[in-house]
Amino acid sequence: MKADRTALLAAVLLSVYPAIRLSAQDTTAGKNVYVKWCAGCHGETGAGDGPAASTMLPRPRNFTGAVYKVRTTASGQLPTDADLMRAIDDGLPGSAMPAWKGRLSDGERRDVMAYLKTFSSFFADTSQHIAALTFSKEPGGGAGAAALKEGRLFYDSIGCRKCHGDQGHGDGPSAPTLKDDAGFPIYAADLHQSWRFRGGPTAADIYRRLRTGLDGTPMPSFSDLIDQKFLTDEQLWRLAQYVRSLSPAETPEVRDVIHAAQIAGALPAAPDDSAWARLDRYWFPLVGQVIRKPRWFAPAVSGVWVQAVHNGRELALRVSWDDRSQSPDTAWLAFERRVLETMASDDSSPPPSAAEPWPDQLAVQFPRHIPDGMERPYFLMGAATDPVYQWRWTSQPRRAVAGLARGIDQFDALPSAPAAQAVYDHGEWRVVFTRALATPDTANDVQLATGRAIPVAFFAWDGSDGEHGSRMAVSTWYFLALDRPTPASVVVSPLIAMVVTLGLGMLVIVRAQRRGGQGGQGGRGAGRRSGV
Amino acid sequence: MNWRRYADHPFWQAAALLVAAFVVIVYVVPLLPGSALVPKSVVLQYMATVLVGVLIYVSDNEERWSRFREPIHAALVEPRLRPVRAGLLVAVPALVGLVAYGQVRTTVAAPPNLRSIHPAPPSEITFRGKTITLTGLDNPLRQHAESLPAYTADGKRIYYQNCLPCHGDHLDGQGHYAPGFNPLPANFQDNGTIAQLTESFVFWRVAKGGPGLPREGTPWNSAMPRWEDFLTEREIWSVIVFLYDQTGWKPRTWEKTESGGAK
Repeated sequence: MKADRTALLAAVLLSVYPAIRLSAQDTTAGKNVYVKWCAGCHGETGAGDGPAASTMLPRPRNFTGAVYKVRTTASGQLPTDADLMRAIDDGLPGSAMPAWKGRLSDGERRDVMAYLKTFSSFFADTSQHIAALTFSKEPGGGAGAAALKEGRLFYDSIGCRKCHGDQGHGDGPSAPTLKDDAGFPIYAADLHQSWRFRGGPTAADIYRRLRTGLDGTPMPSFSDLIDQKFLTDEQLWRLAQYVRSLSPAETPEVRDVIHAAQIAGALPAAPDDSAWARLDRYWFPLVGQVIRKPRWFAPAVSGVWVQAVHNGRELALRVSWDDRSQSPDTAWLAFERRVLETMASDDSSPPPSAAEPWPDQLAVQFPRHIPDGMERPYFLMGAATDPVYQWRWTSQPRRAVAGLARGIDQFDALPSAPAAQAVYDHGEWRVVFTRALATPDTANDVQLATGRAIPVAFFAWDGSDGEHGSRMAVSTWYFLALDRPTPASVVVSPLIAMVVTLGLGMLVIVRAQRRGGQGGQGGRGAGRRSGV
Repeated sequence: MNWRRYADHPFWQAAALLVAAFVVIVYVVPLLPGSALVPKSVVLQYMATVLVGVLIYVSDNEERWSRFREPIHAALVEPRLRPVRAGLLVAVPALVGLVAYGQVRTTVAAPPNLRSIHPAPPSEITFRGKTITLTGLDNPLRQHAESLPAYTADGKRIYYQNCLPCHGDHLDGQGHYAPGFNPLPANFQDNGTIAQLTESFVFWRVAKGGPGLPREGTPWNSAMPRWEDFLTEREIWSVIVFLYDQTGWKPRTWEKTESGGAK
């Protein structure tokens, strides 16, 4: 009886808990945490305008408007405390917001959450009841062909493709026009990179975003379509499951070495040759070039997928990456201008208004010689004294050249170029480079030997994002290995080892059994010290 | 009780200890804050050490030693354990074969990246044409105690505008660009970086960046910019004041050491 009353009291307390915290709490502790750890990006006054703000796209949240993207509440509603805590605890993937769980204590995170609500008077109005929407459970069979087909049907019919594009790479016809409520440019999400979704990667996360919308952005809520009986709740789930199916099941793991298997015969030189589908693919993250002036804080290419195969004479290397535009594309000029105006810059000239239709570019970098030790040229395009060998591909003119880079600013083309074939397919570039392993110019061209770890790095430019020159996305050094077929002779020594081990084992048993027979059954007698 | 018999038996105790040690080294150690996956060669070393320890323990007393050997002996001779014997005869050579195959099969791996994290600093550097002697140098801004809050604020602004993408909001080297680089950006919260360095060492690393590292620091991999191209001398000292202020570490001082913060 008493226990029941306590439970009831606890339940009542829990239900009014947010209100109690807000009214009764002293926010000094939260303010101290905020000023120390949050204000650098979100600003002293919570306006999302701290000193780091202009180096970030998406920009840090402006708390004064109390408009939040990732919520469990209906469109236009304030977020719940749990929504705010989730963003603080887990961070917002694909943005600069880190996960603060493990960095700040539970108390500090709760305090700072309470404090950031004081930036907006909307939260002070306790008459407004903040309630999460009721979300249904995910229906099963979401990975089945029928479910995905139904999801795709609604992807088309409710207009997802307008921004996210036909294949979901964020390249829809409306994508170049997108702005958030504050007027900052916003990229339509690339639905092939669920690990960068602000609200989480699962089908349930996607379903919630479809129900709630992303307030302050062009992404609307689709709850009203259920109310209007345009689609059922289950069909919205199917759409979420379809969107989830566009990304890999797991966040791609970065592996150091690209293994190029050896095949017999001709290499797949075309980007869409069916042979590529059978080859392992490797993900390499790219980040903004923030090392040499002018730096670039808004890289549009977040990474490249790489596959490689060789036949002992030639290497074929396929690089695929998501790019919202086939640059140069004048439809994106206004977007490019907005990006340039939004981002911090090291140089005042050219002014941001001078947006130009730059091409898309990709560079694949090797040292000139495969190093014997660990020493290699400077990863960021070599140096004047120690150049690197690069393949550079541009979308216009559509061609690849080989050359030596001596730092970011200097590139000298070499006479021999790799063969390159490229396709732009609904928001994705796929480029295949093909080159002989050995070339006549052994002084400048890397000689691609089999069985060696060949350093390799990647650089990408999205022209419609204003990227050119040092404004690019960069990777660090990784390795390419042209594997040799495993010769049959390698099984010889393991076989010998097995036979020897087996023989020794039998010898030990036989010896032990002879002694055992003489010395009695497992007794504790002397004379067995040498038994093992 | 069967269970008790095993728990009291030195052989099964030894086996349990080895399994427990393996689990701790491989699965528990990486979970500890600030630690990473234990490399296979190190696991092997640790396991060898544990094995030696266990063997010393079981052979320490005659009674325990003979009990320890009982199950081994039994497995070799007892007629009822014939299946176990046969199983071992198959399993052990198979394992040996597998390990040998793994050794001889040629797969190309990334070369080991041996890198000195805190290489010895030069005694002096040239900063924008001006010679700065690092040996014995303290942060000049600390001579103006009254202005220190202003320098800290300056340093904070500079940090957020420049250092944040790599070194992160929490100064722990996990900024949103960090996953793109190898080596990972320095973690200032860790007790192995600025906590054990003099401010002049930090100044050198900030001013000259990755390209200014000596060979043992693998300058070709470091993404640390050469900040003398971006920041003035005072701005760099301000940012250093901020690093210590924000993390709560105290810089290593010259009174205690003559070696300039080199590890």
